[in-house]
Amino acid sequence: MKKLIKYILIATLFNGGLLFMGCSSSPSAEELKQLDELKKEVSSLEKKIADSKGEKASLEKQVAEKNGRLQQCQSDQEVVKKGLGK
Amino acid sequence: MRYLYSLSIIVIFLFLTVVPLIAQEEMTKDQWQTEMANYKSKKADLESQLNQLSKDIEDLKKQSTKLDADIIACEDALYALIGVTRADVEAFDKELTQMENRVSELQRMSDAELVNYKDEMMKMDSRLKEMAQSKICLIPRYGDRVNTLQQKLLALLNSIQKEKTYTVGTWAKDRDCLWNIAKKKDIYANAWMWPKIWQGNRNLIKDPDIIKPKWVLKIPEGNQLTKEEKSAANSYYRKKAASTPN
Repeated sequence: MKKLIKYILIATLFNGGLLFMGCSSSPSAEELKQLDELKKEVSSLEKKIADSKGEKASLEKQVAEKNGRLQQCQSDQEVVKKGLGK
Repeated sequence: MRYLYSLSIIVIFLFLTVVPLIAQEEMTKDQWQTEMANYKSKKADLESQLNQLSKDIEDLKKQSTKLDADIIACEDALYALIGVTRADVEAFDKELTQMENRVSELQRMSDAELVNYKDEMMKMDSRLKEMAQSKICLIPRYGDRVNTLQQKLLALLNSIQKEKTYTVGTWAKDRDCLWNIAKKKDIYANAWMWPKIWQGNRNLIKDPDIIKPKWVLKIPEGNQLTKEEKSAANSYYRKKAASTPN
């Protein structure tokens, strides 16, 4: 019986020790706050990148359209010059 | 004794399983360091991406502004070639767009409805002929648009100007008289429209009570009698009444 109690006591102390060790190696509140802020910054950057990609795509489309319009105008000029015999 | 032994095994087992679970719920210093390093690296990567994107956007904006200026210069030179101003071209474009929209509306109408807009279409056709003579039509995109619109309008006018005809059958077989012909679904679907057939075929029909088999009658368009047709019908009814003995 005594032996058994001894085993239980040892096991309890051992686990308690593990628990204590686990607690003692946790990051501090300040460090956790730093991590949270870093996560927020990353999330904000991801959003900015998504917005910028959208803006870039829209601008690329506009530029392509304007290039088309310019080419059309230049081609119209050629046709009109021919039509007028210039 | 055995009971206590089993109990102690359970207690030890519980400690061994619960403690790591508790430890897992809270982050360890090592995990924190790893996460910090991961997020810092990710942040640096994202910042670099964002910088590149900002540069690309700036370049595109510059390109866009330059293209705007090039287009205006090119168009001004084009308009100068044909001796018109930007305002002239804009007014021409606006009028043409309005006509294109109107023709699209007309294209959705049935032939019967279209008949009511014949005058409008004739006016549009005449205006398009004037526009086709404009110098602005030397610019291919306007010349093409005017040409396309003229073709569409012509198709619409043709669809209502197709002359419908009816070949008269025999009374014995077909029971054909102006009243019965006008009543036919594919003619007017309205017997009271018979004077329209009469007036449209005055060269053949001298007396509306007499039509002959194999005559090819013109079926004038429209779904209402004109003043002249009504007047002719009234005159016919009066004569008929006068000749009928009391």
